[in-house]
Amino acid sequence: MMRILDPTIRVTGISAAARLAPRPSRLAGVTVGLLANGKSNGMVLLDRIAELLRERRGIGEVVRLAKANASVPLTEEQAEPMVKQCAVVITAIGD
Amino acid sequence: MTLQHDGIDLDDLWQAIEICYEKNWTDGLPVVPPTEGLVARMLAAGPWAEDEVLLFEPARNISVTAYKAAVNAVMAGCRPEYFPVVGAALRALADPTFELHGPATSTGGAALMVIVNGPVRKRLGIHSGANLLGPGFRANATIGRTLRLVLLNCLGCQPGVLDKSTQGWPGKYSLCFAEDEESSPWEPLSVARGFEPGRSTVTVFAAESGHNVLAHGTASPERLLALFADAMAGLGSLSPGRSVIVLAPEHADHLKRARWSRARTQAWLYEHAWRSLADLKRTGKVEPAFFTNPRLLEWLYRHAEGGVPNLPSDADTLAGVDPQDEAVHVHRGLGPEDILLCVGGGQAGGHSAFFPSWSRGRSVPFVTKEIPS
Repeated sequence: MMRILDPTIRVTGISAAARLAPRPSRLAGVTVGLLANGKSNGMVLLDRIAELLRERRGIGEVVRLAKANASVPLTEEQAEPMVKQCAVVITAIGD
Repeated sequence: MTLQHDGIDLDDLWQAIEICYEKNWTDGLPVVPPTEGLVARMLAAGPWAEDEVLLFEPARNISVTAYKAAVNAVMAGCRPEYFPVVGAALRALADPTFELHGPATSTGGAALMVIVNGPVRKRLGIHSGANLLGPGFRANATIGRTLRLVLLNCLGCQPGVLDKSTQGWPGKYSLCFAEDEESSPWEPLSVARGFEPGRSTVTVFAAESGHNVLAHGTASPERLLALFADAMAGLGSLSPGRSVIVLAPEHADHLKRARWSRARTQAWLYEHAWRSLADLKRTGKVEPAFFTNPRLLEWLYRHAEGGVPNLPSDADTLAGVDPQDEAVHVHRGLGPEDILLCVGGGQAGGHSAFFPSWSRGRSVPFVTKEIPS
């Protein structure tokens, strides 16, 4: 009989505890955040999505943020305006 | 030492090897089953408590403890005495400037290169001679492999899931070697990186696949280095990123006899590894990313020796080449310090290697850490 040990790490902490925010029932007039992860075409993709949402769902203001570097997480300072102003945030890679 | 951790109870060795495949805990090659006894011996060979964090990855909020590192080191086939090298390499990857999440997950498919300097090379048999980048050497193979297993098992970098490498390359199994300090014309890489002589260090780098630089026909530094500069200026990998050159002892000897310093060699390579802005435009190397990324723009503007490059603001017109673009030289990297020189390989043969950085931008620098004794 032998016992072998688990080499893996199960994600715990913030990632595991994260919950999805409540979904708004309609998007008309809602402020939408666009968060590009810093890759080449993330904002191109998001801008097009916002355009379509404006046409089809009548969304309100748009708050745009592109991370300077895809390899590092968003800081709280960067996230704060988006958290305060937006009811919906869409993120994209667009690599 | 008694370890209280998750595990699986099994009847025999073969079953243990197979269960590691079933659990998706391997890199495709068989692993040494990480039994409690083997893991305890691995941990005991390092200076770290089992719950000490050797690597924190902020993008995913994951901490890799010495214990998890030891489990993976056993699986990779490390001898316990290698563990301090493994731990130092993980600490180097964890340096915030390295930004590990990028090279660990990117389509670019980077390998994690580990270059070892100092007395630990001889003590552990970390190979720096013939075929140093190839198979045959336990310390090289297993230390590098441990880093990959940590990425696979601890950081979730499973191929096609979080590791989105378009192709990857065999260096991703393991890419660890020692510098042949004795054949170097210069101080050891560790000393060039700011450490005292006699200290053992690891230097890590996120490397794309290497390029052989074959040169048997000249001992002239300029003619020899022109071959390196040509490889470095290849448009496929030309970027503001960094470079690693592993000089074959024969090539290093030519520079030694001509009394070329490290700094002079770096400066010469930087000066000669360039392409014209016209070439970059013709091949689409100047892409829309340049207009939103200040670090990429800096690369173009800083090195516009032939005049300020005329960059269109509209990506659709990028293909337009102005006559003056032929005279604008865009170098690989941002300066001579972006070229890391080290020495390794067999005493016979004029084969060196150039490794471009994974990063097309300016993240993921060289990071050097001391190996605890």
